[in-house]
Amino acid sequence: MVKLEAIIQPSRFESVKDALREIGVEGMTVTEVRGHGRQKGHTEVYRGREYTVDLLPKIKLEMVLPDNLVNRVVDTILKSAKTGKIGDGKIFLSRVDEAIRIRNEERGENAL
Amino acid sequence: MSVLGPQAEAERQKIRQQFEAGTSARETLLALCDLADHHVRQIFDEVLRVQDREPEGLCLLALGGYGRRMLFPYSDLDILFLFGSERTEQEFRPLISEFSRTLWDLGFRVSSAGRTLEECKRIEEDNAEFHLALLDRRFLAGDSTLFEKLDEKVLPGSEKQARPFLLAQLHKLTRDRLTRYGNTIFHLEPNVKDSPGGMRDYQAIIWLRQLSEEKKGIRNITAAEEELCASAVDFLSATRCFLHYSNGRNDNTLTYELQEAAAARALGIGDGVARTAADWMRQYFRQARTLNRHLLRYLEQKAPVPLTLRQRLFSAARVSKYDAGDSKYFHIRDGLLEVTDLSALSDRTVTYSLFAEAAGTGTPLSREAERSIGYVLIHPELPPKNTEMCWEKLREILGSDYPGLALRPMQRLGLLTEILPEFGLIDSLVVRDFYHRYTVDEHTLRTIEHLQELADPPDERGAHFIQLWKTVDRRDLLILALLLHDVGKGMPVGNHVTGSLAALDSAAKRLRLSPEEKAEIRSLIEHHLEMSATVQRRDIFDPATVAGFAESVTNLERLQRLCLLTYADIHAVNPEALTPWKAEMLWQLFVATSNYFSRTLDRDRLHAHDEVSLLGRIKACAGDGASNEEIERFLDGFPRRYLAAHSPQEIAAHFSLYRKLSEEPVQTQVTPTQHGFALTLLTPDRPVLFATISGVLAGWGMNINKADAFANAAGIILDTFYFTDLHRTLELNPSEIARFRKCLEDVLNGKSALEPLLKGRVIRGRTPKVTVPTHINFDDSSSAHCTLLEIVTQDHPGLLYEMGSALARQGCNIEVALIDTEGHKAIDVFYLTAQGKKLTPQKQELLREVLQGTLG
Repeated sequence: MVKLEAIIQPSRFESVKDALREIGVEGMTVTEVRGHGRQKGHTEVYRGREYTVDLLPKIKLEMVLPDNLVNRVVDTILKSAKTGKIGDGKIFLSRVDEAIRIRNEERGENAL
Repeated sequence: MSVLGPQAEAERQKIRQQFEAGTSARETLLALCDLADHHVRQIFDEVLRVQDREPEGLCLLALGGYGRRMLFPYSDLDILFLFGSERTEQEFRPLISEFSRTLWDLGFRVSSAGRTLEECKRIEEDNAEFHLALLDRRFLAGDSTLFEKLDEKVLPGSEKQARPFLLAQLHKLTRDRLTRYGNTIFHLEPNVKDSPGGMRDYQAIIWLRQLSEEKKGIRNITAAEEELCASAVDFLSATRCFLHYSNGRNDNTLTYELQEAAAARALGIGDGVARTAADWMRQYFRQARTLNRHLLRYLEQKAPVPLTLRQRLFSAARVSKYDAGDSKYFHIRDGLLEVTDLSALSDRTVTYSLFAEAAGTGTPLSREAERSIGYVLIHPELPPKNTEMCWEKLREILGSDYPGLALRPMQRLGLLTEILPEFGLIDSLVVRDFYHRYTVDEHTLRTIEHLQELADPPDERGAHFIQLWKTVDRRDLLILALLLHDVGKGMPVGNHVTGSLAALDSAAKRLRLSPEEKAEIRSLIEHHLEMSATVQRRDIFDPATVAGFAESVTNLERLQRLCLLTYADIHAVNPEALTPWKAEMLWQLFVATSNYFSRTLDRDRLHAHDEVSLLGRIKACAGDGASNEEIERFLDGFPRRYLAAHSPQEIAAHFSLYRKLSEEPVQTQVTPTQHGFALTLLTPDRPVLFATISGVLAGWGMNINKADAFANAAGIILDTFYFTDLHRTLELNPSEIARFRKCLEDVLNGKSALEPLLKGRVIRGRTPKVTVPTHINFDDSSSAHCTLLEIVTQDHPGLLYEMGSALARQGCNIEVALIDTEGHKAIDVFYLTAQGKKLTPQKQELLREVLQGTLG
């Protein structure tokens, strides 16, 4: 099993969600986050006050996937989240040792 | 003992069947209580017998709902083991364990506590709930003399002593509970026990009565109100019984599924006629509202904390203030508006003034005042007068700082739907939705309350929007748009916005809104989801997104209203819907779009020939003799913002002045406004014009709050200055207005000089309390022909004259100006040219130095 974390543009979230649903991924955790990588923030001045946006708003998606689905999900996210501009985000993958469904204590991929 | 289990279960089933066959909730609760009592006593006797003990020194008491004989099917049995002494407590401990275990085995959930008689004398400050539950004590079994001792000797004394503490705790616990549920009964899936209007409200009423030792309950309560309250308790009891039986546990959430089931069997109504879930929920909310209103009146009358001296002095001062005006009908007591002349309320003008007073001053109506209005509304011996609510009066309420303080009681009393019948379509309406927590009407009123909260926002989410709420123009239109924005949800239409717009059509006709007012509200309703959608689905840092959004919104004033509407609309979905993240995104989009508008003013100029409907409206207002060509010549080349800043009537008035320019080259008009005066001036362009006008205003002691300066294609300047008359010269001497205009015209025509006017006039006033640092910014990229100069600095009388003079001395021509103030802060944008071109970088630097030197 693999844990996938994707940081994407908020404006791409709906497209990513719909594309994932189309390939059968229903479950995910979504968090509103702020941060920056190579895309730096900017400053807006409104009525003499500076509003510096150095941490840009992003959406973080988290999901744990069975091994056979990982490549497909990554491809789908790449296609649906990409605009080609700096700030499109990143995908992180890491191995997961175990998953347990609390309700019935099922383990492994069955618990996903 | 072994036979008791099946026996108890069979009896429980029998009670359930009887309830399902139509036995009332009241009888069901009593039957459940009797069943529990019977088994408690039987088991207690049996345990004593087995252990060969007499009950001397131990008795069992029922507490809380069980003590009151209102035991719901899966509720706990609250039992107190009362011991004569610590020694008896030790001796009986094994017996109690056995007793509790047996009850559990028979399917009774026991929630027990043990106290000695001595312990009951002491008030446990961290356990007020126990002492409150003890108010419902009832003897169950055991040593009855011990109970009598507690009931007649121990508790009366300690309860009397602890009454202020218990009353305060009960207030706190109740307020906390109500707050936890957002202080509203209108939840889509309410908890019939805990949420406002639920059974806990009833419990709190009972305890408040007991603690205040009032046999008759609330002051002035009528028998009819008592009866309504009793039937509300019956309805809610039936609902709670139904929920327990349906869920098979102590779960009191009235879910969508169970709403359907309750509606199908007309639960609590008794006529057996199946209803839709929405209709049945309206019944539910009606009953919950009765109970909750009853509780709130109690809480208000029995407030345990007296007002502070300051609050009392403040209230006293307010009373005398209103004695001079409309106060013969109402006054303020303990920070609440009270009615002093009940009979006057039959005149709706008086009633609406009371609401306007609440909305304007932020003083809520007392429950008693609300009740008085309610009484007059339904009693025919006081026939209503002046029932028609005109738009001017409604505007006063909607445009106030605290419109929610009027609209909330108006809705409760049915007056809101009398004025705005369209709102009735969403009365107590449950629309199933994953995100919304409240009924549609509740959501709507919350939007308005979230805006008025911006006077002092409770958390960081509102911080950015405070100034916007304070300074937004035509708040009344924003609030009316909010009242109508979801009304379509109560109509059989595919898209609720279509329904809401249809509702606006009828409301606008009835209230006689002007076409411009209606168009503004229409646009807000039409676009009420757009800003939220843009924030969530588009890249708000992309200039193309901002430009597209700005194009859709069309002008700055509308953007301000739409931003506040969106803030309030998201906030009122549920307490967590507006995250700080979303609030920040919304603000960023607002800032970017607002800057887009002020930086692109000269891009979008009017081509009057294409504006057929506008021409028609202006022609209609302008009257005889105006030709389309003449109007087109006047309008051609003005920035499109000119249309947003002025109504067709105002534009027609400007046009009339324009037509007189051939007779007199400077045309002026001075009109009173809500906060001062407005000066409109038309004249062919000339050097130093803006600075000269500002100088004359400063020379007369006027403080400019807002201004805009536009020029048409023919070089006719149209300046509007909004100013406050610091010395009340014009206000107290109307004849001075003509002298002021003559003075201005003479200075502009070169017939008299400006300098003598300014001589001796102390332009700088007192040292300001708040210091605003000067911020100067040049922007060459936003306009094709001009350099934008944005200045934010400390406001003071004469400031604009100082800036205008400095610009003129540097040879700068003001093409467009937007002047605004925000408290002590002046926020000005000038579109400048020098010799018809943008300012060179050197010129900009020089100007920066000059302005910095002038402004400090």
